[in-house]
Amino acid sequence: MPKPTRASSDLALMEHADGELTDPEIASRLARDPEAQAKVESIKQVGELVRGHLELSADAVPDARFAAMWRRVEDQIAPVPLGLWARLAAWFDHYRGHVITGVVSAGAVAVLAVMLRPATPDGGFRAARGAIDVRPVALRASPEIDELDTPGGSSTVINLDDEDGHAAVIWVSPADIVEGI
Amino acid sequence: MTERALDRPTRHAMRASRWLAMIAALAGAAVAQPARAEVAVSCDILEIEARQGDKPSIDGELKPVEKRLKKPPLSSWNQFKLLSHSQKSLIKKKPEPIALKHGSATATLIEIVDKSQTRVAITMADDKGKQVVNNTSTVEAGDYVVLVHDLGNQGHLLLMTCR
Repeated sequence: MPKPTRASSDLALMEHADGELTDPEIASRLARDPEAQAKVESIKQVGELVRGHLELSADAVPDARFAAMWRRVEDQIAPVPLGLWARLAAWFDHYRGHVITGVVSAGAVAVLAVMLRPATPDGGFRAARGAIDVRPVALRASPEIDELDTPGGSSTVINLDDEDGHAAVIWVSPADIVEGI
Repeated sequence: MTERALDRPTRHAMRASRWLAMIAALAGAAVAQPARAEVAVSCDILEIEARQGDKPSIDGELKPVEKRLKKPPLSSWNQFKLLSHSQKSLIKKKPEPIALKHGSATATLIEIVDKSQTRVAITMADDKGKQVVNNTSTVEAGDYVVLVHDLGNQGHLLLMTCR
């Protein structure tokens, strides 16, 4: 059995079909051998099939990933806004989701803070917690008058004690009483 | 996806949103705290007009002090009308003006004694601005100081209690 030459082997036909081998001997063989022609044709078809499959696989990449890739590409080629405000607006536009998350969190915290804030009677200062103790009536000391000045009148101090507690009554009688307030 | 896997601007945006939330939390905590950490007490001030009349009458809002109004020496009147009611937070050594129907008054918290008593200075002036009384007294929380301006046929009363 004669050893097959390179030109007659299938490998040479495959290389020829791929355009990697231009041998006049193979060309002449193809002209006279229909079987070799069929092999070359088959090899070409298989090649087309593989290429088509790869292209379809590439198309199957999720659109979102493509969109993200395009956005990055556009970011890199887009002209940078000059003004600070424009850059800030572009940044907010780009990261709207994160900003909204932050704002919603901040709003929730603010609402909680307002709801938990204790009310003050006059909208101003609040009595410091534990600043003063209200003792049971039985343990309370009688009121003490430290200073008393009643210009143009006389005064009397009377202590009223009952089960509700103590009351220091400071009674001021003007020297020249004029009827009515 | 971990933060490390994100691109740099996205990481910055995430950090910015976290900072925003943290700042809001701190601000909220500050708002939820008392306005200032100064010593203060809450006081109620009742301004009452007292008269002697044919029929006894006491305003419904004066129910908490009704028993005291019926005791001597206040029982020399039998009609009591509430002219004004103020609620004030007194801060140490800061005079607080009290709005009255007749005349004017101020109250100043001098100090808190033994955690249960207030030393408070009260001044009261008549309609003409003439000072009627200037008083400093130490009273247990929940007890009353009653200033009575005797005008003959009627009285001008100021009742104050702090807690």
